[in-house]
Amino acid sequence: MIGALDSVGFHAPARVDRPPALIDQLLRDRDAIVARIAAGKDLMAITRTMVVTIAITMAIVGAALGSYRGGIQIGYAAIKLPLVLIGTAALSAPALTAIGAALGRRSRLTADLALVITSLAYGALLLVACTPLILLGRAIDLSYHQMILSTVMMFSVAGIASLRLVTRALSAETGPGRGSAVLGLCVVFALVGGQLAWSLRPYLLRPRTPEVPFLRETEGSLADAISGAIRSARGIYTRDSAPLGD
Amino acid sequence: MSAIAEPLPSYPRGPALALAALGPVAIGAIMAVRAEIASPLIAVPAVVFGVVAATSPALYIATAVTGAAPPLGAVVRAFSVALGAFGIALAGLLLPAAFLALSSTDPLMTFLAATAAVGAAAFLGLRRLAHELVSAGKEPYPGATDIKPSLTSSTVFFVWSAATIGIAGRLWWDLAKEVLS
Repeated sequence: MIGALDSVGFHAPARVDRPPALIDQLLRDRDAIVARIAAGKDLMAITRTMVVTIAITMAIVGAALGSYRGGIQIGYAAIKLPLVLIGTAALSAPALTAIGAALGRRSRLTADLALVITSLAYGALLLVACTPLILLGRAIDLSYHQMILSTVMMFSVAGIASLRLVTRALSAETGPGRGSAVLGLCVVFALVGGQLAWSLRPYLLRPRTPEVPFLRETEGSLADAISGAIRSARGIYTRDSAPLGD
Repeated sequence: MSAIAEPLPSYPRGPALALAALGPVAIGAIMAVRAEIASPLIAVPAVVFGVVAATSPALYIATAVTGAAPPLGAVVRAFSVALGAFGIALAGLLLPAAFLALSSTDPLMTFLAATAAVGAAAFLGLRRLAHELVSAGKEPYPGATDIKPSLTSSTVFFVWSAATIGIAGRLWWDLAKEVLS
């Protein structure tokens, strides 16, 4: 009987320190991966796998966004989006550790970095699952501003899911300082992530855009840009027309 | 003051105090780079440490008068732990603040990022100070009874905190006018 089961593909469970198994665990059993990080187990393996996951998934999302314009923008956005997430993690994780440590939480930068990177990898996986919707928007010729707003919505959902994972992980801890650490991380995460994404734009360009810059010159603030996009989506424009090709 | 009096995990005091000394200088450097003037390099640490040095004796005197003060040595230790907490918190917030300040074209953003980093670190330092003072009140002398937090001691700490923040805020505002002009 057992031999029969083996012959039809029943094997021992895969080792969960292998990258595909870690990603599967992140999707199916987030409490288990959070517990491993809390216990300080396989932190390097987890961090490495999650960085690679972010790099690959966000490159795919970036390429999908870049396909709205097409051409070299596909490559540009595929390079820049992974940098946004990895940069946000690198800039935000020390804040989580430091705020907690100041209030008496156990100081553990490596575990906090693994946690932040893992939560961002979860968000990146959710975003890559939204890629068909981005491509659908392109296929049905969604207007530029509608595309912008749907992209902001998808990224907001992924960001909230990422933060929820961090919150869940820290709420399982005992001891002082975790509430302030979570609050501080949320604020830093939102500000740094938003500003880094803003600094490395554009990702989504109008199909008729004549020249594709790798980076735009710094202008205004992120808040101004979001309110401008909402006004434009409602048909309220502050200039006569978008830039046209020759 | 907080009613929680359990001792918190400690950290190496020397490096934490070094961070407390260097953090304000780094914040001053960020503002100096953006404003293209050197004065924030001196002004930021001067505001932080000057205000703490000027107001901390008042807290000891007021709590001692109301009978809520731990021994002087314990108060000094509580201040050094709180300063260390301020330094650690500021070290963690320095990188995001520097990024937000230097990636924006608006000098106001630089000032807001610096203010938020120093303000948040100061708030965390004050929370830690409150906790350390309550902890220090547990058997302050061998055989002595505990000094329990009371409405009076909480009021004294609250008024002292408000005055300290008010003085620092006023000096910070003067610095803002110079940086933003």
